[in-house]
Amino acid sequence: MIEVEHLSKSYGAVAAVTDLSFGVERGQVVGFLGPNGAGKSTTLRILAGFLGASSGTVRIAGHDIVEDRLEALRHLGYMPETSPLYPEMKVREYLAFRAELKSVPRAKRRADVDRCLELAKVADMAGVPIGHLSKGYRQRVGIADALLNSPPLLILDEPTAGLDPNQIREVRALVANLAESHTVLLSTHILSEVEASCSRAVVIAKGRLVAIGSIDEIRGRGRPEVALVVRGEEGALRKALGTIEGVTDLAVSAEQDALRATVRLSAEQEPEQAATIESIVASLCKAKLGVREVRTTTATLEEVFAQLTMAEKTVAEKTSSDATEGTA
Amino acid sequence: MKGFFPIFKRELFAHFVTPLAWVAMTAFLLIQGLHFFLIVQHFAGQLDLSADAGPVQTFFGQTMMLYLPLLFVCPVLTMRLFAEERRSGTIEPLLTAPVESAGVVLGKYLAVVVIYAAMWLPTLLYMVLLGRYGEVDWHVVGSGYLAVLAIGAGYLAIGTMTSALAKSQLTAALTSAMAIMGLFMIGVGEFIFPEGLGRDLAGHVSAWAQMNDFSRGIIDSRRLVFDATVVVLPLFITVRAVDAWRLE
Repeated sequence: MIEVEHLSKSYGAVAAVTDLSFGVERGQVVGFLGPNGAGKSTTLRILAGFLGASSGTVRIAGHDIVEDRLEALRHLGYMPETSPLYPEMKVREYLAFRAELKSVPRAKRRADVDRCLELAKVADMAGVPIGHLSKGYRQRVGIADALLNSPPLLILDEPTAGLDPNQIREVRALVANLAESHTVLLSTHILSEVEASCSRAVVIAKGRLVAIGSIDEIRGRGRPEVALVVRGEEGALRKALGTIEGVTDLAVSAEQDALRATVRLSAEQEPEQAATIESIVASLCKAKLGVREVRTTTATLEEVFAQLTMAEKTVAEKTSSDATEGTA
Repeated sequence: MKGFFPIFKRELFAHFVTPLAWVAMTAFLLIQGLHFFLIVQHFAGQLDLSADAGPVQTFFGQTMMLYLPLLFVCPVLTMRLFAEERRSGTIEPLLTAPVESAGVVLGKYLAVVVIYAAMWLPTLLYMVLLGRYGEVDWHVVGSGYLAVLAIGAGYLAIGTMTSALAKSQLTAALTSAMAIMGLFMIGVGEFIFPEGLGRDLAGHVSAWAQMNDFSRGIIDSRRLVFDATVVVLPLFITVRAVDAWRLE
């Protein structure tokens, strides 16, 4: 449904998005993740044809968003960040206006507006001026708007931003409900939201792609933590662990008659991680330290997100630097 | 042109629910009412009238009272068209609907033209009143309103353009008021410049001279062509500006 190829966007000298490529297949619910300022809204605005890209192409349902904008937009329901609306209009009036803009035939307009009011659960506010609505309701009017004319694809920019926990739960349930019959791309920086509603995720940081795949695949990208309980001298422990390759972030604390140490494995693949754990245990035994406990914990999505987005190097930079090392 | 009609309707509606439009209309009608009162009072003291200098001619042509308010009313009517949508962010859902820039611009522009025309509508009563107590040349009334509409349409197009180019309503209103004032001032050059090209040019763009002509029933097509230029050029720039936002 969405094909993004080598998308770049810069504001003057500042690059907001750099060489971004990803796709969304029909029927998927994809989370678009990244810290604030990563370029999420910029990317979604380009997808919706509101901003032009500096380079690269975007196709919505097979239609180029620049060359064939009107046809592409007919397949897309887009809710901008914070869902800006005309405060002086009543909810039903606004949706009727939007339905007309989206070329819903006159005879079907009323029924379509009613359907979207019901779906987005704003039917009870149909006669209220938008300016009097709470933020949660305004967000839902934005979603109702996106649903008009039954587009197969929905792009929602931070549908739960600024809502209270109850409203977040309601909007999330709404999105889950819509996911049954729509392809959805939704941006957020709330990870539990992605775990709750998305099957796949695209993670960007500083305008570059850092990870793409199913939620489990992305969680698997995280580097596990190894917690050790060891009897012996702290100096000896540090020395023993310090020599092993593939171990970072060593932290040691004293515990009654033993030491508790945590390390993070720097390898991304499982076989290498296993090998590192083996050499940790071997090294500890060789140093004559009493190993009492070795426990590995896989990273949570939060940790993976932090690792991916805080890393100095992004995937693209890393592969290019690897490539230059390889040739040198 | 896709999107024209719904945007036109919404824009009309939006004007009538904002207090500002009513304030502008009321102020405008108060000034025109005073204007008409002064004219009638003036002519009531005169014994005989020449054919082309009656109250109707004076209303449309001989005083600045008629279009001086336009310098303020037109910018107020147009300032929010685009500047408000960009400030509140509603321009984003608007332009991500399947609409064309020309449809958006013309929908908004024609809505204010209709409001502008509606604003003049009550002044027709003055003509009806005059008709009850004397002779009214309806041909002159027609050409007078045509000129008022043609000049106003240009001023509104300028305002539509500045609303799209400026980011705040205030800047939009001030720049369009300045542009309209500038256009008016060039016209005043007719009385200042020595005979020659400068004076001819000033005479051609002068709203004052145009009103004088039309208030005597002289419909000069060159003037209408100039008015059309003042409509088309700013609107063309506005469409390009809306297109450019997508490339920003």
